[in-house]
Amino acid sequence: MRRTLRIYRRSLGAHLRAVLEYEADFWVLIVAGLLFQVLNLIFLSAVFAHVPALNGWSYPEAVLLAGTYGFVNGLGPLFFEGTWRLAGKINHGELDYPLTRPAPVLVQVVSGGIGLHGVGDLIGGGAMIGWGLAHSDIDWSPARIGGGLLLLASSATILLSLIVVGNAASFWVGGNHPVFAMTLIRTGDMAKYPLSIYGVAVRATFTVLVPYAFISFFPASWLLGKESAWIGLLTPLVALYCVYLARLVFRLGLRRYDSAGH
Amino acid sequence: MRPYLGLLRMSTRRILTYRLNSLILWIGGATFLAGSLAVWHALLSQGAIGGYDWDQMKAYLLVGWATASIGSAYGDWWMASRIFDGHVATDLTKPLDYQWARFSEHMGGLATEFIAIAIAATAIVTFTGGLVVPGPGQALLFAVSFLLVAPLKFTIAYITTMACFWTQNFMGVSWAKDAVVTLFSGALIPLALLPAWLAGPAAVLPFASITATPAALYLGQATGWEALRLLAVQAAWVLVLWWGARLIWRRALRALTVHGG
Amino acid sequence: MSLVEARGLTKIFRRPEKDPGLRGSLKHLVQRRFKDFRAVDGIDLSIEAGESVAYVGPNGAGKSTTIKLLTGILVPTAGTVRVAGAEPHTDRMVNARNIGVLFGQRTQLWWDLPVRESLALLRDMYDLSPAFYKQRLERLDEVLGLADLLPVVARKLSLGQRMRADLAAALLHQPKIVYLDEPTIGLDISVKDRVRQFLRELRQDGTTLMLTTHDLGDIEDVCERIVIIDEGRKIFDGPLAQMKDRFARVRRMHLQLAEPTPVEKLAERLPDVEVIAGDSPTEVTVTFDRFTHTAGQIIAGVLDVVEVGELHLDEPAIEDVVRKVYAGELLR
Repeated sequence: MRRTLRIYRRSLGAHLRAVLEYEADFWVLIVAGLLFQVLNLIFLSAVFAHVPALNGWSYPEAVLLAGTYGFVNGLGPLFFEGTWRLAGKINHGELDYPLTRPAPVLVQVVSGGIGLHGVGDLIGGGAMIGWGLAHSDIDWSPARIGGGLLLLASSATILLSLIVVGNAASFWVGGNHPVFAMTLIRTGDMAKYPLSIYGVAVRATFTVLVPYAFISFFPASWLLGKESAWIGLLTPLVALYCVYLARLVFRLGLRRYDSAGH
Repeated sequence: MRPYLGLLRMSTRRILTYRLNSLILWIGGATFLAGSLAVWHALLSQGAIGGYDWDQMKAYLLVGWATASIGSAYGDWWMASRIFDGHVATDLTKPLDYQWARFSEHMGGLATEFIAIAIAATAIVTFTGGLVVPGPGQALLFAVSFLLVAPLKFTIAYITTMACFWTQNFMGVSWAKDAVVTLFSGALIPLALLPAWLAGPAAVLPFASITATPAALYLGQATGWEALRLLAVQAAWVLVLWWGARLIWRRALRALTVHGG
Repeated sequence: MSLVEARGLTKIFRRPEKDPGLRGSLKHLVQRRFKDFRAVDGIDLSIEAGESVAYVGPNGAGKSTTIKLLTGILVPTAGTVRVAGAEPHTDRMVNARNIGVLFGQRTQLWWDLPVRESLALLRDMYDLSPAFYKQRLERLDEVLGLADLLPVVARKLSLGQRMRADLAAALLHQPKIVYLDEPTIGLDISVKDRVRQFLRELRQDGTTLMLTTHDLGDIEDVCERIVIIDEGRKIFDGPLAQMKDRFARVRRMHLQLAEPTPVEKLAERLPDVEVIAGDSPTEVTVTFDRFTHTAGQIIAGVLDVVEVGELHLDEPAIEDVVRKVYAGELLR
């Protein structure tokens, strides 16, 4: 495990050094990431200029929710960017070499790139979380702080696992682009708004089938003491389940890998 | 003319070849639309905001989504990747005008995008109970303006891809463009609802012609001379950007170092 | 036990059978039909430590698939493989430490990283000590001229540079056995020579080599044993010399005659062989089957007609043999 982590860290570090070579790109990417969070904020502020609440969520609470979603989404590009290249690798038989190296293939795949726009998401999302927390009415205690951090880590784990599951679908779907994963992750964007605005079908799907709601809605609900806040405490369990699922799907997919045919 | 029509057909066929990809992208776009609809449905349940009631907002979101779909099948990514992998050198040896050639390919995607838009419109009518429809006069104005969106979006994408001559990484540039376009076109939220410090720039930038103009014509918010003025502004932007692109292209060629060569 | 042991190795790919067009795709979703394609069909293969084996056959014969089965990239449909005691696809990590792999068509270097970073990553994956790593780099630099490639980003390397860097990557951890899939493809003559020289040195160091190639120069320069496969089956396995004996029946003798002589006159004297005029009236080339004629018989026959100044005999070229295999002539 420690060895695996070291390989992951070194690989990510090498890619980080490589992208830092291009200073202009670095800034462009960070600004681009930041712009998307700013966009979310502008949308919310424009809307809340006309209404006091969105299904019982005040402006700061909605900002906290969207900020959490944005923050967690920034972790994907920073730590799991290589996953998005899996479809191309399968299609071109480029998993051949990773399969001949003494390191887990998933680690080699996941660490095969880094997207600095994640930094923009982290900054933008982080600022929104901070502002949202400061202006929301939260009953702070050590347990609440610890619980909040645990839920944040769990929600990040869920999203990263979903990225792996979605991209591993390329073992079955084929094609050069991870369209399935893109659909899966972009659908999750709906989770940056309070889940209660959706119909019952969407709510059920986002809770049970694909647990987007555990990325931001349920953890934030727990922190803010909204109704059925206790569901938020299930987030770590959902995270464990997602990790298990991601590893399973990837392993099954790898068994199907046929190295582009011959 | 013939080689350009050939490119147009080729790019339609390429998109159809990757129809599974296209299908899934549409589904992704549809979930985005569904999300926006849900948010606005919740917001408007207590009454109209900024002059938009639920029926109008539905139509607005559909127009916004439709204009965002235009040019998405044949995206700026294809053009950018040709610059990065050095294919641009091959493109330049062909007896075609580079800009017209890329424009033809861009238009090749329209057929499939129209199908997606038709499906989305049908879904909205089916699931949310009806859709505001403009009268014949406004419909005609809307149709003209909607058609102008295609070349307008092309020139913006085309100018953006030329950043590839100066930066190694197109992703960031493309996203920054998407963010700016989304905000200032009105696709994020109707421009009337933006705070003044954003509504000001939005009014003078070309992006409003992408979403706000077709939507205003569809909803009948602009009629008569005002409608014609909006169409004229839209057409003017197409021309300005088309010739601006040529100027930038000439400078880009001077900076051309074919990547990886 | 041999270093590599494969018994009845078989790989069947399942290909979806689709009718053309959208209708075909939809139909396939409902009613799935597949067609089996046997890429490798019951191959037995043993390679001893220190051997260097050429693995030859036409395109699509199953060469690369075999390599991928031996390296653990693919899971065999049937049959067994053992490489240094480990089963490659199940003990993937164990096997990975024993082997080095190079696919000439593809690079294992990280596309957007400098070569130095790629090698350092491999160092971490193979747990090489700093001292060993340094010593290996020096050795590889000596034979491959790595030093000037190290700071270059992989995507900016020329094909020849890339192949040198890739060889270094495949051999960094000093593997027991090295699989090379077309290691000289697309290289110019001088780089090719350098790669072959390197492979010869590798062999002398005691490394076991298995290489697939279309370049027969690679085989003659590097290998002592040749395995020919076609349509997934082995059709020859033995020493290079034996293969020449068995399949290279045709030899060629070039003669410099004392005076101009019409070829018809020689052909009359030498039935059953082919006599072709050379560049000048005093040169001829005689092509004969060495199982029906000896070189002595040919010379005697020519001497009956005309004095001979000089002569030389072409060694049987494996090129001719392999070409025949490719053309399908040698299949039972």
